[in-house]
Amino acid sequence: MTQTNEAIRDAYRPVRPGLFATLRGTAEEIATRRRLILYLVRADLKKRGADTVLGNLWWVIDPLLTMLVYVVLISIVLNVDIDAYPLFIFAAILPWKWFSSSIADAVTCITTRERVIKQVAFPKIVLPISVSVGGIANFLFGLVPLVAMLVFLYPNHLSAWILLLPVIAAVQFVFTAGVAVLASALTVFYRDIGNVATHVLRLWFYLSPALYDAERATKHLEGQPFLVTIYNLNPFVALFGSYRNVIYSGGPPAWDLLTLVLAESLVLIVVAVIIFRRMEPAFAKVI
Amino acid sequence: MDEAIDVRTLGVRYNLRLTRKNTVRQAFRGLASRRRSGPTHFWALRDVSFRVPPGESLAVIGPNGAGKSTLLQVLAGILQPDEGAIEVNGRISSLLTLGAGFDAELSGRDNILLAGAFMGIPHGDMMARMPGIIEFADLGQFIDAPIKTYSSGMNARLGFSIATAVEPDVLLLDEVLGTGDATFRAKSQARVVELMKAARAIVLVTHDMSWAREFCNHAILLEGGNVVAAGEPDAVVRVHEERSEVRRAGGQPDRLPPITDTGLEPIAPTRGTAALIR
Repeated sequence: MTQTNEAIRDAYRPVRPGLFATLRGTAEEIATRRRLILYLVRADLKKRGADTVLGNLWWVIDPLLTMLVYVVLISIVLNVDIDAYPLFIFAAILPWKWFSSSIADAVTCITTRERVIKQVAFPKIVLPISVSVGGIANFLFGLVPLVAMLVFLYPNHLSAWILLLPVIAAVQFVFTAGVAVLASALTVFYRDIGNVATHVLRLWFYLSPALYDAERATKHLEGQPFLVTIYNLNPFVALFGSYRNVIYSGGPPAWDLLTLVLAESLVLIVVAVIIFRRMEPAFAKVI
Repeated sequence: MDEAIDVRTLGVRYNLRLTRKNTVRQAFRGLASRRRSGPTHFWALRDVSFRVPPGESLAVIGPNGAGKSTLLQVLAGILQPDEGAIEVNGRISSLLTLGAGFDAELSGRDNILLAGAFMGIPHGDMMARMPGIIEFADLGQFIDAPIKTYSSGMNARLGFSIATAVEPDVLLLDEVLGTGDATFRAKSQARVVELMKAARAIVLVTHDMSWAREFCNHAILLEGGNVVAAGEPDAVVRVHEERSEVRRAGGQPDRLPPITDTGLEPIAPTRGTAALIR
């Protein structure tokens, strides 16, 4: 049919950059498009507050209401007796809200930008990255009621260890960004991920020591070190534990587990970026 | 000589299995029945080679589904070539569709910045161009209102003003000239003509043959993803019109052999010579 011989096609065949070049290119893209990320984050914040009476106050109220639901359910209905239980679970609900809302947004962040992806050439990685960065705002707003609770309701739980909160949050950010990048790319090809994500996130939350102590879970698994190891592989065991230490117990973060999570997250984000970049050229065709 | 645009044996392939909106179930079924499924790929463009030297403008014509818009998307960097290579020298501006990066909740002013950031225009440049964009769009007080309050015509006006605010070296145009009311349409046509005069190179996709004849000094005819005619706009337009005539009468014109790159070394530009090059 076509007369071009393969040799000519071969001479101009596109080459795919290597892994290292991909990673470096991605870092450069993010750096040069930081202003786009900033605008996207700002647009998102504006949008969320736009249609509600209370506006951005919802960022503060929302985690409080979630906490209230669980306090009613667990400390009153199920009659679990943990000292300062609202603070105990709030230390986990806050970071979890950050993570789960970031992932819920990341899942749709590419598919909802269909028009611009088909019409403008830009590095698509800024979309999940801006979702992850925007999630930080979510967390920062939530710190307001947290500090208020510590100061006014539970001053005896307040300690200088809380100053290490940003360190734990930084580890969580790397993990969140990795999951967000991966989920956003996969959803382009499998829309079902959007439906599955809500349920996976809920199960993940209940399996993580948010409403209860990690020791309670590992006690159940006593004598089965293999299962305990599996349980501890969940990054949120280390994250919730560390948050709870600095906020609730007044102690240092679980450094060993936290370092492990950081290592896991760094591997994850590298893998996620490579997968994302491999899929990126197809986005404009598939969406 | 350095070409403004150099395209060699370009091929763009769509994976038919992926372009269907997939669900996990379909994917599993696809895996199971891989052997007996039909064609898996569709070449939207194949073996497309052409060059646009600086100062030239190229008209791309052809029937619907010939690959014209795909070609512009590749030139704009939105799609990557699956085969072949393209080189575009200079800053590209694509007027593919207007108002692409808009966010309905943001004000017109914020959207100008957002669109600029999507296009990768440095912030300083965008700030400098802001007054010009606002003036050209002529939205009055609405520039500070969220664009969800805009009419579609206002939206298009703002989009057009942003897209044409940058002085591009290479201008890609995809029939965006029919926007807004009569006054704005006249204004925008004048602006496009102005840009075309200033740009180093232009690729214009159009169904309006008078544009191809009037503003371009070279034309290619795309059919089924191949270049089937190239040369003087008048000659190429004539070929296209003859073939459209056959189609309109309900017939199917004879397949023209694709014009492909004949060698690895640069080929001298053929414009102004034969209407049909083999």
